[in-house]
Amino acid sequence: MEQVKTAIIDNVEALEAKLAALKKAQAQFATYTQEQVDKIFLAAATAADKERIPLAKMAVAETGMGVVEDKVIKNHYAAEYIYNAYKNVKTCGVIEENASYGIKKIAEPIGVIAAVIPTTNPTSTAIFKTLLALKTRNAIIISPHPRAKASTIAAARVVLEAAVKAGAPEDIIGWIDVPSLELTNLVMKEADIILATGGPGMVKAAYSSGKPALGVGAGNTPAIIDDSADITVSVNSIIHSKTFDNGMICASEQSVIVLDKVYAAVKKEFKDRGCHILTAAETEKVRKTIIINGALNAKIVGQPAAKIAELSGVTVPADTKVLIGEVTNVTIDEEFAHEKLSPVLAMYRAKDFDDALAKAEQLIADGGYGHTASLHINVQTEKEKIDKFTARMKTCRILINTPSSQGGIGDIYNFMLTPSLTLGCGSWGGNSVSENVGVKHLLNIKTVAERRENMLWLRLPEKVYHKKGCLPVALDELKHVMNKKRAFIVTDEFLFKNGYTKTITDKLDEMGIVHSTFFHVAPDPTLACAKEGAAAMTAFAPDVIIAVGGGSAMDAGKIMWVLYEHPDADFMDMAMRFMDIRKRVYTFPKMGEKAYFIAVPTSAGTGSEVTPFAVITDETTGVKYPLADYELLPKMAIIDADLMMNMPRGLTSASGIDAMTHALEAYAAMLATPYTDGQALVALKLIFEYLPRAYSNGANDPEAREKMADASTMAGIAFANAFLGVCHSMAHKLGAFHHLPHGIANALLITEVMRFNASETPRKMGTFPQYAYPHTKERYAEIADFLGFGGKTADEKLENLIAKIEELKSAVGIKKTIAEYNVPEESFLATLDSMVEQAFDDQCTGANPRYPLMSEIKQMYLNAYYGKHENV
Amino acid sequence: MKLDKVVAVRADKTVYRDGENIIKVFSADKPKSDVLNEALNQARVEETGINIPKIKDVTCLEDGRWAIVMDYIPGKTLASMMEEHPEKLNEYLDKFVDIQLKMHAQKVPLLNKLKDKMSRKISETGLNATIRYELNVRLESMPKHTKLCHGDYNPSNVIIRDDGEAYVIDWAHATQGNASADAARTYLMLNLTYNQKFADKYLNLFCAKSDTAKQYVLKWLPIVAASQSVKGKPEEKELLQKWIDVVEYE
Repeated sequence: MEQVKTAIIDNVEALEAKLAALKKAQAQFATYTQEQVDKIFLAAATAADKERIPLAKMAVAETGMGVVEDKVIKNHYAAEYIYNAYKNVKTCGVIEENASYGIKKIAEPIGVIAAVIPTTNPTSTAIFKTLLALKTRNAIIISPHPRAKASTIAAARVVLEAAVKAGAPEDIIGWIDVPSLELTNLVMKEADIILATGGPGMVKAAYSSGKPALGVGAGNTPAIIDDSADITVSVNSIIHSKTFDNGMICASEQSVIVLDKVYAAVKKEFKDRGCHILTAAETEKVRKTIIINGALNAKIVGQPAAKIAELSGVTVPADTKVLIGEVTNVTIDEEFAHEKLSPVLAMYRAKDFDDALAKAEQLIADGGYGHTASLHINVQTEKEKIDKFTARMKTCRILINTPSSQGGIGDIYNFMLTPSLTLGCGSWGGNSVSENVGVKHLLNIKTVAERRENMLWLRLPEKVYHKKGCLPVALDELKHVMNKKRAFIVTDEFLFKNGYTKTITDKLDEMGIVHSTFFHVAPDPTLACAKEGAAAMTAFAPDVIIAVGGGSAMDAGKIMWVLYEHPDADFMDMAMRFMDIRKRVYTFPKMGEKAYFIAVPTSAGTGSEVTPFAVITDETTGVKYPLADYELLPKMAIIDADLMMNMPRGLTSASGIDAMTHALEAYAAMLATPYTDGQALVALKLIFEYLPRAYSNGANDPEAREKMADASTMAGIAFANAFLGVCHSMAHKLGAFHHLPHGIANALLITEVMRFNASETPRKMGTFPQYAYPHTKERYAEIADFLGFGGKTADEKLENLIAKIEELKSAVGIKKTIAEYNVPEESFLATLDSMVEQAFDDQCTGANPRYPLMSEIKQMYLNAYYGKHENV
Repeated sequence: MKLDKVVAVRADKTVYRDGENIIKVFSADKPKSDVLNEALNQARVEETGINIPKIKDVTCLEDGRWAIVMDYIPGKTLASMMEEHPEKLNEYLDKFVDIQLKMHAQKVPLLNKLKDKMSRKISETGLNATIRYELNVRLESMPKHTKLCHGDYNPSNVIIRDDGEAYVIDWAHATQGNASADAARTYLMLNLTYNQKFADKYLNLFCAKSDTAKQYVLKWLPIVAASQSVKGKPEEKELLQKWIDVVEYE
């Protein structure tokens, strides 16, 4: 019958030779296809299945423990259920692929598995582990327990021979013939992974071997019988489970906790079904027999109830099923509270369900952390109790109305609980797995991830209306399409007093829309101001908000809108930085449910009418909250140059240059797309052509005003989607620390930043899949080309573009250096480090194509201060 | 050196007193290495500064028997005091545990390792392979410590000097290792020479004073029982067998 000759492994040299052979066999096995492996798996499972009875007999004969007929079930289970569970599971090569995400998962074997097999299930566990090893293309070396070595080896041999016959390499399964601690330790040290089932000593040895280990722990399963349970079914389930293989399954019930109301009935049912309820004197005798100095008496393990009674000096009928001790103490001082691996059961009376939970909890703590807990209950009416039980039990398997021996190993009394003879107990049980161990724990999964680029977007207000004089026309639909009834206008005092809102209020009056105006917005709007406006808004309860003004009024309007719609909003959370706006931790509240938001700019610069950004300052702490979320996009933007005709020159210049930096940074940003490029390029073209005219001619040049209005909004659309860069980061801090107008601060820094970004050998480039390599110089060259600034090489084009920018800045009266704006050197240098760190941390930095070091930001600041360019 | 005043007679040695000295004379078949080892152990423990008789000489008598000469400690053993004053048992037990804990606080890096010794003893037991395997697995999983362990700590090895100072004698079995193993060994000895009630009383007190979980000490019992079984005393056999043949949970 023996087809495969195996050398006797009884010493270190023989074992080392065996391990070498296993490694070689495994290397060959690793090249097998899924088809080959599945053929071997089928053959091995079939062979084990056929030998289930001889193997069961052998196990009982050798160990003197358990019940042949039950071991037949275990062997049958280990072969059939494991085969059934994994027959169609992919374990070789590509097991998962998603072409659109560019992800592929590849299963690889681990190598040599060291398997420690317990005495309680010597043949079934051997079948189980060898089958798992074959399915996963691993080799396996078995370290049997001396008490069960012959039957363990016989089971492994059946599997090996069938596997080899089906084409597996000859040395793919090995075992120690004469087990000793020395050889077991060597196996653990040499293997690639340890699959240890056994006592805590063995599991501890596995974990301390230095190799990855799948060790599983001891159980001390309590079973609660609730007063809602079907007593006949509960009691018989427990008897069925507790007598299975004479109670040697680690998931088996060790204690039954019965609620007071049904205690008598449960006791009677146990008695009627052939269990023996021990008297007090008998309990004492059994107590001293089963546990010796806190340890389980080896003589009782897996023995029938009558034999254990006899050993204890108690007489019971020979066919007694279970010995039940009625005890009260749930701590380990009580012998009955221990794991007994035999048909001996502790029975406790619980005064109510909470008492039962407390007892079960303690029993699990006594020696069953992480294993299994069982509850018998009416699942229809007692959902709350089940939830409570589930929450309280620190076990990885929670079984309801189930014989726990047969239930815990999975797939017999339940669905989808992985069939397994190795039950993980999680960290509670000191294990690395909390599930039933299966093939997935014996594979290395390679994930192949191809480079993919992110989805990008173009998000705009749903309506952008533009033309000089369009304001009343645009507002017309408030009445006739949207049927709005109450309008709230947000603006600043200057605009209000000078009649800038009159066009709007006249139109609203004409349409019969009632309105109220809040005109206390100051530059750099504060939280206090926004709260005041929001309070007025709340009192007025508008269904449309119209923010009229420059960036400050529009930003303040957006914040008031947030506070009006979501009074509990926390700005600290909203202002949290993100790497990717779509993956941010904070979910911005939904906007627009109370009021429609319209932005009407009165200067050509910020672009706030089309952006998802708003900045608010907490006046009590001085902290600025830059908010960014597409929920903040106005619903409608109305660009009417009539409102900009009389902008003062300084504002024309500063806000015009601000728009220019928006377009330049949006074009260079890593998130730039053709959709935003077009907006940015045209905006730049208009700015270079019309900003000097608007600056010089003011109200006398309506064409220049209108073109600048368009340019500003287009630049806004570009940076609302492509975002900005480190120039804005630095400008924000320079403005905040030294009170420079935002546009001026940008103007002073932009060409420094452009040279910085143009480097083809940046110290660090930005992190975004679309930005494949440092190519910002070419991007600037594209701008120069589009604007017709000439130049042959990218370097020349960059220089020409920078020269033209400097020219434009001079033309609109912008000075050359920060120093020239009366920022004292001393205070500039004193604040420099703070500015650097804060600029580095600014939300705008993330989109910059070159990831700046703080030292680099510092040098750029210094360059811009003194007007001397030093390479960064 | 006068060998006329016999203090105690044991199977492998006779103990004499000569004035200020105690002379332990070993039987002729006692290996020289055992004698020298005992003297060395004792000398090493001496260096910790705890109260033990100081070695004065190690010598070979004219008849070829080896002897260790050490300080005579005038006083009574705790064992005889317990016998004489059973009403003071609790007080004596308290003292007994305190002395043991003080000893466990010492480090003697050059002493043999307790786990090595136990492993050797398990292999000498003649128990069957399965039981030895269980014992070895159990031993291997025990934590390694380096506390001074007496190895035969029982009331007859503690002498209370006439001025009340306590001295611990008989360091033949001293090792460094886990204090719980030493306590388990004491628990076993008390079970064998006194009774279980007294042994339990000792163990509860030891656990309480050293803040040790009782099951942690109990885990050592199969191992110390196996080690004791090597002595092959027939009257101990049944109890030791019972204590040894236990299994770990699975």
